[in-house]
Amino acid sequence: MTSTPIISEGLVRHFGSGDKLVKAVDGVDLAVAEGEIFGFLGPNGAGKSTTVRMLTTLLRPTAGRATVAGFDVATQANDVRRSIGVALQDAAIDPLMTGRELLDLQAVLYGIAPSAVKARGDELLERVGLTGAADRRVGTYSGGMRRRLDLALSLIHQPTVLFLDEPTTGLDPMSRITLWEEVRRLNREGTTVLLTTQYLEEADQLADRVAIIDHGHIVSQGTPAELKAGVGAPTLLVRVDVERNDAARDVLARFGELRPTAEGTLGVGLEGGPSQVTAVVRALDEIGAHVHHLELNEPSLDDVFAEATGHRLEGAESAASGEAGGEAGRGDGSAPAAPAGRGRRRSRR
Amino acid sequence: MSAATVTLVPSAPGRGVWWAQTWAMSKRSILAIARQPALVMPSLIFPLFFAALGTSSFGKATVLPGFPRVNSFLDFSLAGSVVQGVLFGSVTGGTALATDIELGFFDRLLATPTSRVSILLGRLAGAAAFGAFQALFFTLVLIPFGVTIEAGLVGVLVITLSGALTGMGIGGFTAAMALKTGSSEAVQGSFPLLFIALFFSSAFFPRQTMQGVYRHVANVNPMSYLVEGVRGLTIDGLTLGHVAGALLVPAAIGVVSIGLSLRALSGRLAAR
Repeated sequence: MTSTPIISEGLVRHFGSGDKLVKAVDGVDLAVAEGEIFGFLGPNGAGKSTTVRMLTTLLRPTAGRATVAGFDVATQANDVRRSIGVALQDAAIDPLMTGRELLDLQAVLYGIAPSAVKARGDELLERVGLTGAADRRVGTYSGGMRRRLDLALSLIHQPTVLFLDEPTTGLDPMSRITLWEEVRRLNREGTTVLLTTQYLEEADQLADRVAIIDHGHIVSQGTPAELKAGVGAPTLLVRVDVERNDAARDVLARFGELRPTAEGTLGVGLEGGPSQVTAVVRALDEIGAHVHHLELNEPSLDDVFAEATGHRLEGAESAASGEAGGEAGRGDGSAPAAPAGRGRRRSRR
Repeated sequence: MSAATVTLVPSAPGRGVWWAQTWAMSKRSILAIARQPALVMPSLIFPLFFAALGTSSFGKATVLPGFPRVNSFLDFSLAGSVVQGVLFGSVTGGTALATDIELGFFDRLLATPTSRVSILLGRLAGAAAFGAFQALFFTLVLIPFGVTIEAGLVGVLVITLSGALTGMGIGGFTAAMALKTGSSEAVQGSFPLLFIALFFSSAFFPRQTMQGVYRHVANVNPMSYLVEGVRGLTIDGLTLGHVAGALLVPAAIGVVSIGLSLRALSGRLAAR
């Protein structure tokens, strides 16, 4: 096993051509160390799933190269497949089969000896807490149960590298935490994990290192602590009367760099730290701005994202979910939603 | 979530693993058919309905010049019922493959190191198994109503085998369409075309009683020969020619359709 089980260099994937060219992934460089949980954070359509599909051999790169578990994804695809576990978006599981039948099928597809199939299936069912539901059809499972079964299926052959594409999207908080615990446990046992997510908390909680991707480019990469430290000042969020917004913005700009925020809220990175809050309130009072809301936040990954891209991730996922539908298409050459020619990154002010 | 650890003993890659994978995929296809009775019942009921309707409406047509010597119109209808039922069933199989593509299960399979051909052959084996079941089902259901199989028990076995080959042959076309389009609606949309092809064949009347364009189309329509192979065993008896007709025609169709589906699979994989 290589000490850097996932490497990509200048990985590119385009869909379509001419006016309809979509640059879904446009030069992604990654190096995931053995035993790491690596978070791939970005909004819908950013290129996360397309990158994962290339790394898991489901899509051919347009340019660049990648190795997984020491094997080239383009020229040694079957060796890659034998080494990795994959749980794709949407937990695509045959609803007509039972959990146990699916595990048996998956074991055969990985060439596991028949004598070991049942014991391995039982072990995994117990591991993900589905022993009692093993003989029920998957169509009767809840979303959380499907995700857990999906995880079990991806582990059937004891992979050294695990790809989880938005593993907790759509799950309730309890199911999400259960899955997080299982991912941590797998990682403690030595599995290298690359997970994509659009949830800041998930990346913050789980990942040893995070890469932020936007419009097909990695815009920032590091440990969550490093990334947050890079943002520096805490963010002060202020909401005032709409008609005083412009004046309030000018006031806030005196205290630090303005930061992108949700509609109707102003944000500033307080260069002088929390002690300046009083001065800000006083200055706003002087221009007659009535403060409706005031909130001081330590830097978060959302601040990192905003700093790197010029827009926020938090709240964007719900707005973008309507266009989600799988950014990578279904491997039939169909293009994801993002149009061609979107800038490398939004302006960093 | 807790468990002991099982040490895996992977099988060495080879022909045994390939067969095991193909068989596992076949089992999945057959299970899917067995677990969706509402989806497969029409393919069992409608051909019987048409056979009953034809017998009650056209029973006296058996005395027309050119009509083969039969005990009843039902004897003549059996072959058409078998092929008609298998057409219905094959669309179901193709639709299931397209649904796998639409829902992402196909990608799950492609993410494993399993043979791509096994994925396709497993689906076609399911179509073959269902085709065999349908052929036997129609034969056994219609015997109490007066159908006689002149070729006897061996004839019933050959008809069953012919059903399997027809299921695989027509299933190859619907699988090709599923792989080409990735759309279950497109595959379902092929049914009227298949039905028209069956209508312009000797499934419902002998070619000798037809005239004009209808007869010309039936003469060049492979469906006619598909039906007539089985019909020969039903109304004439066990001859080498009828056995060959019942088996070789669907086998030849299968060679073409499986070739097309393999090409469609290759195209889908290459488009990634």
